[in-house]
Amino acid sequence: MRLRVVSPFAVLAWLFFPAIFTVVGLYVLSGPGTATPQLAYAILGGGLLGYWDIAYLDGGMSIQNERWSGTLEQIFAVPTPLWVIILGKVCGSLLWGLLSFLPTIAIAYLGFHALLPHVDAARFTISFAILSLSFLAVAVMLTPLFTLWRWALPMLNGFEMGFYILCGFMFPVTLLPTWAQGAGALLAPTWAIRAIYASTTNQGPHDFGIWWGATVGLTVIYVIGALFLYRLIERRARISGGLALA
Amino acid sequence: MSRPFAPAIEVTGLRKTYSNVRGTFRRTKVQHIGLSGIDLAIKPGELFGLLGPNGAGKTTTVKILTTLLLPDSGKAHVLGLDVVSQTSAVRRRIGFVFGGERGLYWRLSGINNLRYFADLYRIPPSVSRPRIAQLIERLGLAGREHDKVEVYSRGMKQRLHLARGLLNDPEVLFLDEPTIGLDPVGARELRLLVRELADAGKTIFLTTHYMFEADAICDRIAVIKNGGIVAEGTPTSIKRSVENKGVIEVEVEAIGPERLAQLRRLPEVTSVSVTERELAQVITLRCGSPSELMPQLGAILEGIQLQKVSSREPTLEDAYIQLIAESP
Repeated sequence: MRLRVVSPFAVLAWLFFPAIFTVVGLYVLSGPGTATPQLAYAILGGGLLGYWDIAYLDGGMSIQNERWSGTLEQIFAVPTPLWVIILGKVCGSLLWGLLSFLPTIAIAYLGFHALLPHVDAARFTISFAILSLSFLAVAVMLTPLFTLWRWALPMLNGFEMGFYILCGFMFPVTLLPTWAQGAGALLAPTWAIRAIYASTTNQGPHDFGIWWGATVGLTVIYVIGALFLYRLIERRARISGGLALA
Repeated sequence: MSRPFAPAIEVTGLRKTYSNVRGTFRRTKVQHIGLSGIDLAIKPGELFGLLGPNGAGKTTTVKILTTLLLPDSGKAHVLGLDVVSQTSAVRRRIGFVFGGERGLYWRLSGINNLRYFADLYRIPPSVSRPRIAQLIERLGLAGREHDKVEVYSRGMKQRLHLARGLLNDPEVLFLDEPTIGLDPVGARELRLLVRELADAGKTIFLTTHYMFEADAICDRIAVIKNGGIVAEGTPTSIKRSVENKGVIEVEVEAIGPERLAQLRRLPEVTSVSVTERELAQVITLRCGSPSELMPQLGAILEGIQLQKVSSREPTLEDAYIQLIAESP
């Protein structure tokens, strides 16, 4: 957490980027006669983007930062397994990422008087917790790739925008072409985000069981994939000596 | 035959090759040898030095022993534990320090770096808190422990590295060129500290480029070149083992390449090196018998203004240079 607090990138990700997205979203979606369901994408979308950015990029880049600062070898050779260290780092990033909702909700409420009057608090909380779990799984699965695969950083930057679109952070995924919806369906956050937005409106469909189940199922697959990746990467790193900055 | 001691570190036939890719379009895989089958046995409480030129295999050896690298073949045991299959148990009982300024969280304070690593070593706070305070005091970081590492001098960073390496009170400590880049006073303080740790019973595996450092503090040393051990013994025995019985140092204003070539051709001379010292050049000749060489030396240097001529016993550096020059 201390490393997050002192990172300028983390401040940008929780404060400035979400605020910009929220302002733009609210201008677009809060016109006269706009219904509440659409407004939810502007009120929560910026915060979700910031939350995702910090989990995905900051959590992922922490390994690259370790490599740059020469600490990757140090943390690799301690008794605590690497995946536990990464898990701790990503948990710290997620906690930090929650801050993204402060500026976005403040802007929505104070600047645009935008509210979500039909929020189902219980379903919203469950959906948000499941979303956090899926973010955690994605970040934990992706970060070990940084220990060996140096293409991971540019790939990660490229996929960041793809995730925004495919998961429906700021608009309903049903607006996407069928093939893109298919690709989005393979991403665990897509289902949790759908559940979050559904919990803010009394208009259906309300298939929470399916959405939560899909998120948890995909998250479990990611975790199994992560366990395999950590074993593979730990062995490969010890063979190639690729932990130090070349 | 049974051994008189159970080694703290035991290495048998250790081999390691690295692969890298050459070329952009026509890519070819190239292999180079890191270690070519080394054997070592280090006693508990011994301060062992591994010397060698860059790329000789020192860091590869340390990285295998600290579980960061896997060997291709051979065996390596630390405190009786296999570094390949018992990594977690090995990691709990060893400490390591790599030279240089990197390897610390520069944006965190020194004390927070130590607290974080204490957590990673799973040291309970009731143990880690007093130990961190003790290490900060002992390593001369008291009063600066709450400053960010980015404002530390190189010497302070290296002392913080050592504090990190000692956090888990390791039985075996690996130090990979720990005094590299330090000023003479800082390097001397660190050497004294390392000697103190060895005297307190810790087994220390040190790699260094500095011969005087190994000569001053190591109980035993090995010289490594091209991945193979070329000599092993106490600093005194290594010095005795080489052919040089003496060294002549001649300080001159300047010497030309022709005369240097003449000196190198003398049959009694095993090696000649030239170093700059202020406005003079110092020619160092390693030879069998300095007294027999003096007349020939006088003839070759005739006409050159000699500032100083002296003869001395060979140092470990002289022995090292001969060993490195002579081994394949």
